[in-house]
Amino acid sequence: MSERKKVLIVDDDPDFVEGIKAILDTTYDTEVAYNPKEGWDALKSGRFDLLCLDIMMGRGAEGVMMARKIRKDPVLREMPVLIITSLREQIAFLFPGQAVHPGFVPVDELVEKPVDPDMLLKKAAAMIAAAEARRAAK
Amino acid sequence: MVTTTARTLSFREEVENLLHAEEGASLVRCIQCATCSAVCPVVEFMDHTPRMLIGLINAGMKDEVMASNTFWTCASCYACTEKCPEGIRPADVMYALTRYSLWRDTFNRDWVAPEFSRRFTKTILRTGKSYEPGYAPAFIFEGGFSGMVREMQMGLKLLTKGRMPLIPSRIKRIHNLRAMVARVMPLDGIE
Amino acid sequence: MSRYAYYPGCSLETMAATYHVSSMEVAHKLGMELEEIEDWNCCGATAYSHVDELLATVLCARNLAIAEKQGLDIVAPCNACYKNLWTTNAALKRDPDLAEHMNYALEADDLHYDGGIEVSHIMDAFSTPEILEVIRQKANDRLKGLKVAPYYGCQIVRPRRPGLELSQVDNPQYFEELLRAAGADPVPYPYKLRCCGAALMVTNRRAAVQMVRDLLQNAVDSGAEVIATACPLCQTNLECYQAEVNHAYDADYAMPILYFTQLLGVALGVGVKRLGIGKELVSPDIVLKRAKAGASSASS
Repeated sequence: MSERKKVLIVDDDPDFVEGIKAILDTTYDTEVAYNPKEGWDALKSGRFDLLCLDIMMGRGAEGVMMARKIRKDPVLREMPVLIITSLREQIAFLFPGQAVHPGFVPVDELVEKPVDPDMLLKKAAAMIAAAEARRAAK
Repeated sequence: MVTTTARTLSFREEVENLLHAEEGASLVRCIQCATCSAVCPVVEFMDHTPRMLIGLINAGMKDEVMASNTFWTCASCYACTEKCPEGIRPADVMYALTRYSLWRDTFNRDWVAPEFSRRFTKTILRTGKSYEPGYAPAFIFEGGFSGMVREMQMGLKLLTKGRMPLIPSRIKRIHNLRAMVARVMPLDGIE
Repeated sequence: MSRYAYYPGCSLETMAATYHVSSMEVAHKLGMELEEIEDWNCCGATAYSHVDELLATVLCARNLAIAEKQGLDIVAPCNACYKNLWTTNAALKRDPDLAEHMNYALEADDLHYDGGIEVSHIMDAFSTPEILEVIRQKANDRLKGLKVAPYYGCQIVRPRRPGLELSQVDNPQYFEELLRAAGADPVPYPYKLRCCGAALMVTNRRAAVQMVRDLLQNAVDSGAEVIATACPLCQTNLECYQAEVNHAYDADYAMPILYFTQLLGVALGVGVKRLGIGKELVSPDIVLKRAKAGASSASS
């Protein structure tokens, strides 16, 4: 049996984290960072097979900033990134009804909260497998 | 702190995560000396003094904190931030709480301040510049009819003195400005 | 000759147009060149930080980048604009990740910011030792004995910029020095750093009106004949809402509120019309009389 894959969650909402962590824990070793700075430190100190990233954190839409930084890092850029966000809801006060523009967030997948458990596990498995296939092809 | 065990973050930690890029000391350093409250020029209009608010945050009393008008009453004068003997920056905490209350939708719809911030933000995105007469409607809720009449009388005097423009001005490259904003706030419809 | 990139800010096109014209006149008299930042945009005030600080940062970053392109350090006449531009500049110089992200946004306007310029309040530019000396030499005696309350406001000194001592933000003296150089008589004004209420005039009227009342009463108690301000929000709240204070407190304040640049202009012999004096809701009679007296004695 192969070793369990590692997933990092970077999200500032403890209630949401508790939920998706419970789901992911069934299949993966899951770690959590509650702000982008600690998230980045975690990425730099360990190897993760998948990152689940929030958008609105800290000063503002820092998830976008972090995703862009990951894509510029020669090692981290290989890691699949799944954005799980409620950006639309969080900023509806200003921009009611506007959809998230995936073109501005350089990640593999973007889904909106709330997340269906089965869908989350399927997505995570597919993204990790695709990354492994990419590595194997090199 | 990175954690592998499921745990619930304290409310203080949640607030401090919003401040992770700021320079102030941790709220745990608060010694409840009330210097912040003593130097605050708006303290008597707040539901909780700044000292009490920090105490409530440290005690994890999230509902009380989020129902408080304190952070929307802050005038951003930074007197507290200058004087805190422990290096806490209460004014930055107030900003963090306004963000939290907008993002988590906990703000009171009767308050004028969030509506003012919304109008202001939308005005800048539309024209690139602020336009004072556009904010008057936010006040009308609070000032009542006589307040509105006095406000209009003042507006007319300013108009005759040439201090109140009838048409908002607009920057030339407003489309580029919107495209810039869309790069940091990735929503359709901003550009 | 000193040259600066001039960031007027939105109020100086509207309510505070007199601050703009008087700044220009005074700069001209002092041999200082103010080059307006091309197509500048709003600094975000406090509202943007209420919503998302990165949005506030991107607005200021654009102004910084355009000024850098013009090759000039920025001066801003508004306390809030100054604080926002200064804070953003410091953050961009300190945090390479933030700077990278903002430069990505700036690309959308063909701009880039390298952190190569500084930001000052316009009062700093008008109170360098060299400029003070020029003012002393050129000033007439029209402000002689005029009791002026030097009202700094908040964000011109707070939050404290690195390198400054507490005493420098607790009891600064440069405004007083500038007024003395212009021949006026600054009075000790204990509330000189107390907040005017700023945007609370819209969002919490009762609070702001009380704050303005306290500032006016303190100026009266200090024996001031006029309050000099360095910020359009302070000026508007203290002056335009004086009637509101009188209404709320059954009072009869009639305290003239002028921009410090308007007083400097009078001392440097600029005509009152050119300084925008006379557009107030509270008439600054005492200053008008002095300016006219000076004009008639000069012509006789």
